[in-house]
Amino acid sequence: MTGDSASVAGNGKARTGDHSRPLAVTKARLNPVADRDTGATRLIFAYLACAAAWLVIGTFIGEYLGIKFSSPDMDHLPWLSYGRLRPVHTNTVFWGWSSLALIALALYVVPKTSNRRLFSIPLAWTSLVLINVAVVVGDILLMSGINNGGQEYREYVWPVQAVFALGAILVAYNLIQTIAKRDVEEIYISNWYIVAAFLWTAVVLVIAYLPFYQTNPISESVIQGYYMHMGVGMWFTPLALGLTYYFLPKLLNKPIYSYSLGVLAFWTQMVFYTMIGAHHFVFAPTPWWIQTVAIIFSVGMLVTLAAGTGNFLLTMRGSFRTVARSYSLPFILAGVLAYFFWSAQGSLEALRTLNLVWHFTNFTVAHSHLTMYGFVAFLIWGGVYGLVPMITGREPRALLVGVHFWFALVGLAFYGTALMIGGTMQGMSWLSGAPFIESVNTMVPFWLWRAVGGSLMFLSHLVFAYNLWTMRPATAPAPAQAPVAAAQALS
Amino acid sequence: MNMHSNHRLLFSVIFFGFIALSMIIAVAPAIGVENSMRPLPNTTPMTEIEKRGLGVYIAEGCVACHTQQVRPLEMDEVWGRAAVPGDYAHVEPLGPLSPYAPALLGSSRTGPDLTNVGARQASETWQYMHLYNPRMVVPDSVMPAYPWLFEVVEQAGADDVVVPVTGAFAPAAGQVVPTPDGEALVAYLLSLKQAPLVVSTTADHGEGGAGH
Repeated sequence: MTGDSASVAGNGKARTGDHSRPLAVTKARLNPVADRDTGATRLIFAYLACAAAWLVIGTFIGEYLGIKFSSPDMDHLPWLSYGRLRPVHTNTVFWGWSSLALIALALYVVPKTSNRRLFSIPLAWTSLVLINVAVVVGDILLMSGINNGGQEYREYVWPVQAVFALGAILVAYNLIQTIAKRDVEEIYISNWYIVAAFLWTAVVLVIAYLPFYQTNPISESVIQGYYMHMGVGMWFTPLALGLTYYFLPKLLNKPIYSYSLGVLAFWTQMVFYTMIGAHHFVFAPTPWWIQTVAIIFSVGMLVTLAAGTGNFLLTMRGSFRTVARSYSLPFILAGVLAYFFWSAQGSLEALRTLNLVWHFTNFTVAHSHLTMYGFVAFLIWGGVYGLVPMITGREPRALLVGVHFWFALVGLAFYGTALMIGGTMQGMSWLSGAPFIESVNTMVPFWLWRAVGGSLMFLSHLVFAYNLWTMRPATAPAPAQAPVAAAQALS
Repeated sequence: MNMHSNHRLLFSVIFFGFIALSMIIAVAPAIGVENSMRPLPNTTPMTEIEKRGLGVYIAEGCVACHTQQVRPLEMDEVWGRAAVPGDYAHVEPLGPLSPYAPALLGSSRTGPDLTNVGARQASETWQYMHLYNPRMVVPDSVMPAYPWLFEVVEQAGADDVVVPVTGAFAPAAGQVVPTPDGEALVAYLLSLKQAPLVVSTTADHGEGGAGH
């Protein structure tokens, strides 16, 4: 009896001890070895470090702006007023965070898939300086009230955006030269997307910043619709997708499901997406035919979305245990799903009947965050956690990567849900003919929930910045380990 | 010549194909709008102070929350008649740093549409009070206050507009008067009135019927 009871007690102890559920899934260790190309590693890490700094700064500003909706009198300083600071947030996360991070990954993927080193590392450093200068100067000018006529996402005045463009064009030259001197026969699909993003964006910036055909607010709006859509969809989208065509098969250690599907998605992206900018001005006094064309091709984008997402998901099929055991692949899975759902949401928003409810409301703010964050940022993070340990030889703490993932995902869920519901109610309020202030009062609780979600997202960025720091390249050269290994081999 | 292995061919198709599409969907329609833009009859160009006020409106980022775009929809009738291109004909580029027409149509209606605000809120005093602190006149407003468009003086001059600031919003001492930028912004806001569309009474829709 006593023996039995002891064994029961023992079992009970075991249940709370050894058999307790672990806090997190055990993630596979990579035990990576630092890449021998330390020049390229330092370059890529510098891009990512700058990007992470801009992410923290840009989203801190975003969080501050979000709180202003609940507390509009928290400061009375012109430099920090909502109207001036909003473009600082958007431009910082666009050109500082997303662009630099995507370029960083491209600077690895293009040489890797071309089987040679980057054409010029000093040139890439020059680009990094130029882009950082553009963001610093552009932000300071915006805060002092100097902007490009309030054109959304092109608020930086042309001399500033020209510096950014020069930086980006030098990267493009660098990448194209790398591909031109490649040591493989075919140009891998990633490089189609990556180089296209640079070529398209160069065209978009030139068209957006030439003044001759935008001297009145209607012709300006024709270009603005084109710009604000292409600036996002022909820059961030193809870069993020192109990188995923590399990182997903690489991290799963198997080929992409269908190369041809990737090619189909590529060409439909170019032809369909280019035509849909005017859906930002549905019912506006801009030419009606470009609005209709935009709506039709918005629906056509479902082909591109299905081809791209299907390809990624079919590549992952059968490997979901690998995804769960990896700390980088969950980001890519979340990013791929976000790409499908929230881009499809964009197509729905273009339909005139739904546009009626959602246009001008906070629903569009939810949409832009679900896409630029849920899709682009998550794919970037997947790439960063997949790549950096491989080139620096240092892994982040898996638990902290998990904290980053869940804070970002749950934060975005709060953010998106609050503004989708609130935005719909805002639109319904206008449709009902209620006094305008009712639509403001309706939003009050949702703005609060948005700030809660935004806080979680911001905290996750601090964790990301810390994780990136723990993955930094060693300052001492890697070959120092060689004698140790040799000594171990001898003993 | 294979696009999968010839980078010149691939990148040329990508580059020039995109330029061609962009010309069709953006540049050509924009030029079309440029060529057909005419001001509405019986309207006058913006005055110097209104132009300066538009500059303040853009510098402060008012367009982040306010549209100037009445759509041909029942829900927009509260803001005025549906906008036509000619409504915007007098708006000009602001200067060499921004040689494009400012973005007035807007993408967000966190605050009301301002197409016709000069007619809806024609009181200069209301506009000043609202800019000094919106919650003085609209308690539930979430609009930022713009105290830097005003200054507190001991004794306002004879020509100064004194803003009636009361209660918790009032400065400890002195009177609140607008700065030149503040005056310009209010002049601009008050100028925002929709011109009536003159309906042609003749059978043809030529300009003959438009001027009376």
